[in-house]
This record gives sequence, structure tokens and C-alpha cells, in this order.
Amino acid sequence: MAEIRAEEQTSTISKTFLIKPKLKSKPRTLPQTPESKYWSSFKSTQIPNLVSSIYSLSFSPSPPHPFAAAYSATVSLFSPLSLSDGDVSPSSTISFSDVVSSLSFRSDGLLLAASDLSGLIQVFDVKTRTPLRRLRSHTRPVRFIKYPVVDKLHLLSGGDDAVVKLWDVAGESVVLDLLGHKDYVRCGDCSPVSSDLFVTGSYDHTVKVWDVRVDNSKSVLEVNHGKPVEDVIYLPSGGLIATAGGNSVKIWDLIGGGRMIHSMDSHNKTVTSICVGRTRKENCGDEYMEDRILSVGLDGYMKVFDYGNMKVTHSMRFPAPLMSVSFSPDCRTRVIGTSNGIIFAGRRKGKENVESGGRRNILGFESISEPEVLRPRYFRYFHRGQSEKPAEGDYLVMRNKKIKLAEHDKLLKKFRHKDALVSVLNKKNRENVIAVMEELVTRKKLLKCVSNLDIDELGLLLMFLSKNATMPRYSSLLMGLTKKVIEMRAEDIQNSDALKGHIRNLKRSIEEELRIQHSLQEIQGIISPLLRITGRR
Amino acid sequence: MMIRGGRSLVSSPPVFSNDANKLLVCTSNTVSVFSTATGLQISSLEGHTALVTSVLVVPPSSPAAKVLCYCWTASLDGTIRYWDFSVPELMKTIDIRVPIFSMVIPSFLDVPAEDKGKHRNLFAYVSTIDTKETQDKSKASRRQIRKCNLSKSCLVGRLILGETKKPEVLTVSPSGKFFGICNKCKLHIWKVPDQGSEHAAVRKITLHHTKKITVITFHPTQRIIASGDVTGRILTWRGFGNRAFSGDNGVDNQKLINVQEDKPGVRDIDDADLCSTWHWHSAEVNVLSFSLDGAYLYSGGKEGVLVVWQIDTGKKKFLPRIGSPLLYFIDSPDPTLSSISCADNQIHLLKMPSMGILKTISGIKAPCCYPEMYEGLGNGIAFDQTAGLVALRTENYCIQFYSLFDDRGISEVQVCERNHQPGDDVTVIVTAVALSVDGSLMSTSEVKLAEEGIGGLVCLKFWQAGSQNKEFSLSTIVYEPHRDASISAVTFHPSGNMVVSSSFGGDFKVWRCNNDSLQSDQMRQTFSWTCHAVGSYKKKPMTAAAFSADGSVLAVAAETLITLWNPYKNVLLAVLGETLTPIVNLSFIGKSDNLVAASCGSNPQLSVWSMSKLSLSWSYKLRIEAVASAVDLSSFAALVLLPESSNETTFKGRDGVILLYNATDPVPTAVWSVRKAKGGALGFLQVNPSFVEEISIDGKTPEVLLAYMNGDHEYVVFDPFCKDAKEVNMSQKVSHSALEVKGLGGQYGYVSIYGELPEFDKKRPETPCVPSFPSERPWETIFSGSSHSLPPLTKLCSSFLESLLEKRTVTVE
Repeated sequence: MAEIRAEEQTSTISKTFLIKPKLKSKPRTLPQTPESKYWSSFKSTQIPNLVSSIYSLSFSPSPPHPFAAAYSATVSLFSPLSLSDGDVSPSSTISFSDVVSSLSFRSDGLLLAASDLSGLIQVFDVKTRTPLRRLRSHTRPVRFIKYPVVDKLHLLSGGDDAVVKLWDVAGESVVLDLLGHKDYVRCGDCSPVSSDLFVTGSYDHTVKVWDVRVDNSKSVLEVNHGKPVEDVIYLPSGGLIATAGGNSVKIWDLIGGGRMIHSMDSHNKTVTSICVGRTRKENCGDEYMEDRILSVGLDGYMKVFDYGNMKVTHSMRFPAPLMSVSFSPDCRTRVIGTSNGIIFAGRRKGKENVESGGRRNILGFESISEPEVLRPRYFRYFHRGQSEKPAEGDYLVMRNKKIKLAEHDKLLKKFRHKDALVSVLNKKNRENVIAVMEELVTRKKLLKCVSNLDIDELGLLLMFLSKNATMPRYSSLLMGLTKKVIEMRAEDIQNSDALKGHIRNLKRSIEEELRIQHSLQEIQGIISPLLRITGRR
Repeated sequence: MMIRGGRSLVSSPPVFSNDANKLLVCTSNTVSVFSTATGLQISSLEGHTALVTSVLVVPPSSPAAKVLCYCWTASLDGTIRYWDFSVPELMKTIDIRVPIFSMVIPSFLDVPAEDKGKHRNLFAYVSTIDTKETQDKSKASRRQIRKCNLSKSCLVGRLILGETKKPEVLTVSPSGKFFGICNKCKLHIWKVPDQGSEHAAVRKITLHHTKKITVITFHPTQRIIASGDVTGRILTWRGFGNRAFSGDNGVDNQKLINVQEDKPGVRDIDDADLCSTWHWHSAEVNVLSFSLDGAYLYSGGKEGVLVVWQIDTGKKKFLPRIGSPLLYFIDSPDPTLSSISCADNQIHLLKMPSMGILKTISGIKAPCCYPEMYEGLGNGIAFDQTAGLVALRTENYCIQFYSLFDDRGISEVQVCERNHQPGDDVTVIVTAVALSVDGSLMSTSEVKLAEEGIGGLVCLKFWQAGSQNKEFSLSTIVYEPHRDASISAVTFHPSGNMVVSSSFGGDFKVWRCNNDSLQSDQMRQTFSWTCHAVGSYKKKPMTAAAFSADGSVLAVAAETLITLWNPYKNVLLAVLGETLTPIVNLSFIGKSDNLVAASCGSNPQLSVWSMSKLSLSWSYKLRIEAVASAVDLSSFAALVLLPESSNETTFKGRDGVILLYNATDPVPTAVWSVRKAKGGALGFLQVNPSFVEEISIDGKTPEVLLAYMNGDHEYVVFDPFCKDAKEVNMSQKVSHSALEVKGLGGQYGYVSIYGELPEFDKKRPETPCVPSFPSERPWETIFSGSSHSLPPLTKLCSSFLESLLEKRTVTVE
């Protein structure tokens, strides 16, 4: 129970009102949603000068989740930790003989497989960068390789020879040759729930689902995207896949027999790459992570798609065609590769073990500790001192907030109108000056104040007027005031050189404003007949 | 069946009960008993037939008798009544047949407990009008102070203590030995005779001052009297009446001779020892009261500041910024509680030494007066039909929400963030207030007056109600919504998500509500209003606006014309015209396809327009003060100001009538005559289920209720369609309302008024259907017919051109 202070709950009739400036209008756009705030919280860093288009980006599944980028005949490894420090140089680089097309980390993050356009697949030790295995069987450029999610022994690859191969990495041998695609195989993914299932997408518009347990090495399911498939991914549930091709990203239900659930058509050019991202969501106080599809396209946009609500929740523009995207498993880094050799890496601040914490919450293994509540039957309840902090369940009796009065507020309360005006003019806050002037107008004291100002204070006022009289927001008040001030204090102005200088400034700014108005009127003269004509239709 | 309310709580000083748990307040014909703990009304003493002017609680004769709740009341109806206000029950009525302006009963204040069996006479002193001597004496001295024997229920014959020009308030000393009045620049003080005999000589002294004295008060223990004057000075006379009143006291006489030579501050031969002056108040002093122990003096006046003077030192303490002129300060038997009554119809209960406000008994606030140019802008009254509330603008830049059924103030919304100081120049005016149909949204407009052409500002504000208790919070401010032109009307769309504001600057704007609820706290919805459309018609000032019941048509009055618009697409649908003078009030009549317009000026008019025919149905030449139409009925009510000439004879001082019309029928279905119609308002209310028992007659629940509020904000709520009950109820009221200041006077059945109508309604027999549109193409038909039957071409030419011209005035850009 709370300790309730026996404060006098008496009310007063009069309230203290501060002199507040006029409110500014809010932008017409909707306020940022929590989700777009989340996506904007990735602090962007550019990794420039990578020569050519970034074909592939891949995150290591093991913390701290370094990522590899494939560009030209080079694979570079970057540490995400260095991004926060602003250091963007690669931690290590592997050189190839031909252009690298695809990258994949093994599930433990120790090995990295890379394919190149010569048709060779190499497996490297990430630490030493030495090639451990060389898998050669593809006759044409290999376009994608993929390690299965849990299986450490096999590797999936596909290439321009329209063949999908399953490799035994240790023996450098092909386990299965999966034939069926009629055009270049460009992409593929392994099921997150089963080590036997995987999908591949091809330029023949189809996406095929393969099962290694099927003998005749034919696809178990086939969906037609309608456009050359650029990328395909399994969504984390394992039952849905998302395919990218043309301007659209489509979501398919595999369990339901390959039914299309939704087509997201908000890109304007070809979607080149998609991946699964996660966003933090708050609902009724508890926080949890929700999956999103991140898609990038040649139009330079990254879109975040909520496939639960079938809605694009965030959109971000980059100044180049985008080629590849990847999102780190700890949800703190997202990298985007462009076609002109720049990687846009974004890193979010946060605790190092967001991911593990998130996991635990989902699984619900964490024991919830009972908050200890002091009750009157406990002895300790009666021994609480003045410094006792309120416990979680206590009802807080808030003390009324003390109103902070600015100097001009205090002076206005004492009816020292001129002093209030001078004090606020000295403070250089334009909004407040206007607010005080308006308050003086309602008290019918503004002109009296002007006539009482001495020369220095008048200079202050004239300086303010020369700066702000032509601002459209204030001009209705200030232009009238300026006229009156010059009328009333003409003699003083003539006698002082400093004041004359202010008047000159004022004149200049008004002349400039007149010029602007003049040109605006010209433009209006041009536009208004056009508007009238269009209005007639 | 009728609910009355909105009465003034501050017409006369209230009084606390002996245990300080109740406060008795004179509310016109009744005395209302309020609980000081909750500030709510407990009961009311009903019986007087005119304004109650005094209420006096019988003090306890012993501590045990504190629970007794007896009081005397005096009224302008010439009766003094004795009540047990705990029950409440009338115990005794004394009819003295002269209106009583003020009454004091000094003797029960000092007399010990009445002995058993032996009945003592109880005397009251009353301030009355002498009705008998009107003929021979000049009007000036008709007000008399007389003595009344309450035990024998009669005035003490022929004993006139004094005469004044105006009815003055009697003040009695707490000891009960003296009472006095202030009469212009003089104070008259009488000593109450000790013996209870009828004709004991009452001795009187007079003290003089140079200014008009407004209020006096007596010290509880010493012979000190304090008085306040119109210039704000407080004069304290010490030892008054030492010579005149101490004839029977030898010791005092001796003392008196010694001090007689030196009497600083005392004028001429006045019978006082010492007169001192305090001056703090800038305007007249209305409140003076000594504290119970006599150490402090409370004073207050027009500036709305309660000043506490320490009598010995003259040091001051203040309770500032009450915001309204103070009228009365009343101490309670409980030393920690007292009350101040303010001119804005509020009674504040103060926690005493700290002077914090514990509770406020909130009456309906009085109408505020504004500079002339803003007079005609409607009366700033909006009715909340569903909740039975009325929203009124008040002097302190607030909107007060007043419950018509409960007769109490619900809440106040501060529209402009300013403190009001009585006597200040009015520089900020709340010009309009509108409520949405469900009462959850409000829109207000305000004008800041310019100082010599600098810095005027018009603001339109949109408010949304909180979850409970009509606590409105600001959702959008629009500065200068129509540039610098002021707003003539603000109206809500029936659905509540659209508002139209019309301005004298020649345009109207349709505002739309964007409802964006933040995800973080889903409980709170925030509304933001943006301009949806702007419309104007030939640059004419837009003077009134109304939405139809289904919200599909918006009618905006462009001075004398009525323009009809589609509010969603902002398309002009039709123009109706025209009236003789600018229209000030527009209203669609519920379900029917009719529109009622009221125009004011030299040629006032009430006109009903048919939407289906786009023409005038019927009209009257009447001065309309307010028009109300119910949402789901086809009738409307109009409050009509009667012309001066017909006032005296037919309507006995009533200056207005409420006419209830069916939209299609120019003969009113019911007529009620009312008082103080100027500045009045009308509104239909939906029947609140919780009040069904009170309102319904023989189990029949009325469909709607009509609320009429007069110029003083007194109101009455009644069922406009109930005929028989009205006859019974009103016949009583008519007989009572001979002299009362009540809002509603009499109400007559349909048959009785039917003959009366021609007397005040200069009914213009207009053709029932005047099409305002000429036929589509008149020039085509002019020449039709055989050539020999046509008039000469020279004549035809002019009419042909005329028809073309006519066409142009009708077609609209």
C-alpha cells in the first residue's frame, strides 16, 4: 500500500497561465509508427569503394555474427562490431580467380562456401581463409550455394546449367543431381524445419520444392511465379516461402499445395533479393519479436513487409540500385549491397544478447519472480523511512508539478510590461517575443511599452523587427507594429545613428520581401489560367 | 413534469445550519439546502410564491440543541415562514401582506433558553414597502423598517423605525443588541430594547460619512462597527452610541464624559469615540465581516479579492484572484468553515485559516456582456441533447457545462488560457460554441481584439471529451481560420466527424476529423482536424450554417440567400432566395424536408423553406431570438420577441413567446409566453431514461423535451407535446407569477391562443408556394404562338432581354 501524504487537497480558482507561443502546425504526414522507428534506428554506415556490384551478402550464424560480402572476384569479411566504431575496413579478404556469385556460412559459422562464375565451389575455413574443399561439377557458372540450416555435411548449389546439385562436402562428391529446371537456376533455400527439403528458383519462372527422400529426383511441388525468379526464401515457419521476381514478391503456402497467399507489388523495378528480418513489437506491455520480409530492388528501395498483416510497414530509399540484402540473426545489423560497389550497413544499438533474451521469452522457460510486496502485517511495513522508494504495486499520489515561470512571465505578473518586453527581446527566442507581444496586445499595453522604451531597448526592438517583420507567420502582427513604432519614435530614430542602421536593415528586408512577392505574383499569373482551364473540365 | 432551474444562488446571503453541515441558500421562490461536505443539494423548502429574501437559522439555546434545524424565511410575497429544514417541513406561516426585502431577528441571538410554559414574544425587524400610503406620500420614502411580532404573527402596529428611499439590507450585531442599515451617506443604528414588550422605545443613532456607504458589520463583542463605501474605504467606528444607548448604565456615562473632548475622525456630533479608515480596495466594498473572535475583519469587493485585516495592526492577508465580484462572506458555527458568494453564481466553501477552497456550489453562470459589435453573434449557448447538458460561455473565458436535469454545474472548460479579472477591459471574446450530437466533441471560436489595429486574432478550437465528466481536452487549434474575418457560426455534422465554420469574410470551411489512434496507448484516441473544403458564394458574408439531419446537405446562409451544398464533394446544389434582411439562424427541421431560417434587422422574418420544391413555404414577420428543431421530429420551436407595443396589455410584462410549429403548417401547435426572452435560448433534449419517472405523466413518457433558457439563464424543461398536464400545471403558475422574477410565466392551450394570434403576429398572408426559380428557359416560350397574336416586337424585345438577364442571376458560378 502506498504511503499517502496528508496533503491539503484544496483547489484554487485562479490558475497560473504561462505566456505560451502559438502552436506550430504538425506535418500532415502520419507520425512515425513504432515499427518505422525501429527500422530507422539502424544507424547507417557506408562501406564504399568495393569496385563492383555486391552479388551476395551472408551473416555468420555464430556470434558476433560477422558478415561476408561477395563483390567482383573478392570475398570480404566484416565484423559488425567495427560498424559501431565507424571502422569499415574488412577484417579479412579472400581472392578468387573469377567473379564470386554466392556465399553461404555453415550453421556453426566455422566454414564459408563460395561459388564463382567458373562453376567452382570452394569451402573455406573462416579463421584461416584456407580453401579446404573444392567442389567442381557444374559446367556453367554457379549462381547459388546454400548450407542447410542444421545439416553440416551437405551443400546445395545451382547454376546456369539448370541443374541443382546436392553435395557431400567432405567427400567433394555430388550426392544428387536434380534435373527439372528449364533455365538458369538463380536461387534456392533450405527448409528451416527439415534437412531434407529445399526450394530452388529459376529463370523459367518456376520455383521447385525438392525432397531428397524422393527417389526419382523429381520435384515434389512446383509453383509458377510468372516472372524469372530472382530470389526465394523459406519463411521461419517452414510452411511458407517467399519468391521474388519481376516487380513483385509473392508468398506461397507449401503445405496448402503451393497456393499463392499474397503478392506484394510495391517495388517499381525488379526485386533482386529478399531475406527475413525481425522487428520488435510491443503489445499490452510485453515485448516480442515479429518476422518481416525485407526486399530490395533495382529501384533503390528497401521495403519491409509484414506477411502477417500483408502490409508494407516501412520503406527506405537508397541512392543506387540494390542487389542484395541480409539481416543478422541477432537482429542488430542489416546490410544492403548496391550495384555500384557500396554496402549500406545499418547497426542498431542494444544489449549484446538481444537474441538470446528473445529466445528465452519465446520459449517461456524463464521463471517469473514474485515481486515482494510489503503488507501491513509485516513488521518491516511499519519501519519504512522517508527515503522509502515506492514498490511496483503502490499507488503513487503525485504532487502537483511546479510551474516554471520565465522571467517575462514573472514581470508580466507584476504588470511590468515594458521590462517583460525587453527581457524577452534579450532572450532571442522569436516565438516567445511574439507571444509576449500578443499578451501585451490583449492587455492593450503594447503601444504604451513602445513609447516607454529607451534608445538601447528601441534598438533591440528594431533589430527584432528588421529580422522578423517579413516572416509570413508573424507579419500580420509585426508589420502593423513596425509602422506604429516608426511613427511614434520618429524623432528618436532620427537622432541616433544606431537606430538609423536598424531602419536601413528593415528597409532592405522589406524591399527583398516586395521583390519576392512580385515574382510570386508573376508566377500566380502564369498558373491561374492553367488552373482555371483544368477546373473547367 | 416540469424541471426548473438555473436560479441565482446569490440573490441573498446564505446561512449555515447550527452544525455547519448544511448551507441554506435562497434560490428565488425556494430555499435550497446544500450539504457542505459534498456541495450537492439535499432538499429544498418550497412554499413561498415570490423571491425569498432572507433566511435565518434559529441558533441553539444549548449545546444539545445543535441538531435542531429550524429556520425563518422572509419573502417578497409578504409572508414569513418557519421551517424544520431537516425534514423539510413548513411549521408556521405569518402573513404580513407587505413585501419583505430583509429581515433580522435580533432577540433569539441573546436570549437564553425559553422557559417552559412561559411564552416570550419573538420580534423580527423587517424592511418593507408601505403599500397603504402610496397615494398621499411621495414614492421616495415608501421603504420602511418595521417591527414584527412573530409570536403573535403580526406587525407591531404603527411602529415605523425609519424610512429609506431604497430597500436596504438590515444587519444585526452578533450579540443581538443592535441592528443597523446604511442609507446613502449615513448609518442608522438601533438598539434592540431589552424587554420583550411590543412598544418599547427603540433608540437610534446616526453616523455620517461623505461617501455612499454600501455595507456595514458589527463587531461580535465590542462596540465597533465597520462600514465600506463606494470608493473602497473601510471605516471603523469604535464605541458608537456610548451617549445615546447607555442611559441605563451609570458607569458607562462616567467614562464617557472623560473621552468626550477628543474624538479623532468622527464627524460633527456623531455618537462615536473614534473613527479610523483603511483603504485597499479600488472599487466599492461589498463584503465586510468580523471573524468570530473579533480579531480579524474580512472585506471584499468588485475586484474579487478577499482581504483579511488584523484589526489591531491593520496588517493584511489576501485570497486573490477569485475572478468575480464578491457578494457575501458568511461564517459558519464551525470555525474552520466559511463561505463566499460570488457574482458569477458560485458559492465557495473555504477552509478557514488557510482560505483554501474546499468545495464549490456551482450555479449557472450569468450571461456575459460584450462590446456591441459582438452582441449579435448568437448567445453562445449550445445544448447537449443526449446528456441534457447546456454549454454556456462565461465571463472567465470558460465554457460551463450545466446539467439541466440535475440543476448543477458539471464542469468548466478553460477555452482561453487567461485569468479573468472583473472590471478589466474585454479583449478576448469567446464568440461561438458548438457541440456534436453525441456531446463528445466541441468546437469554440474566440476573437482577440486588436490594439489600435495591431495583433487581432481569430481562433477556432476543437475539443474532445475525456472518458468521463465532460472534461474536454484541446485537440486542434486553427489560427485565423478565415484570415482575419470573424466566425459567424460553427456547426457539427450529425455524424460528428465534420464541422462547418462560416465567416463574415465571405467563405465557409468544412473541417474534417482525422482520427489517428496511437499504437502505444490504444485507450486514447487523438483527433486532429484539417480543412476539407472551402466554399464561397459571390463573396457574400456567410452568416449561418446548418447540416441536414442525415448530413447529406449543408445549408449556408449568404446574407439574404440560402445556399445548399454537398458537404462531401463541396458542390453547390441550389440557391434559395431571398429574404429581406440577413439570415442569422438556419436550421433543418428534423425528419421533414424543410429548412427554417430566421433573419433579423429592420425587417425580421421567420421563414420555412421546402427542400423538395426549393421554395418558400411560409413566413412570418417576427423577431426571432432562437430557433430549435429536434433531430427526429418534424416540428420546431421558435422564441419570438414581442414588439414593445403589444407588451403591456396582452402579456402582463412578458416580452416573448415560444411558438411550436409543425414544419408544414403555418399555424403554431402550441404557444407559451415567457419573460426575459431577450438573450434566451431554446433546445430540444432527448429524454434521459434516468429521469423518466420525474417527467412522465401517468406512465406516458414524452418523446422529447424542450428546454427554454431566458436572458438570465434561468431555464425550464418541459414536454412540448403534452396538452392536458400543461393546462393544470400552468394555471397555478400564472396566478403565482404576478410579481415574481421567474423565467416562465404562463402557458396556454392551443384553443386559447388561436384567437390571440392576430394581436401580435402581423401575419403576412404570403402565397404558400412561391417558386424562386423561374422556368429553365423562358426565352424559348416567349415567342411561341402564332405571329399575329404576339405583341409588337419592340415590346417583346425588352421582355426577352429581361428573361435572359433573369437567367443570369439564377445561374451560379
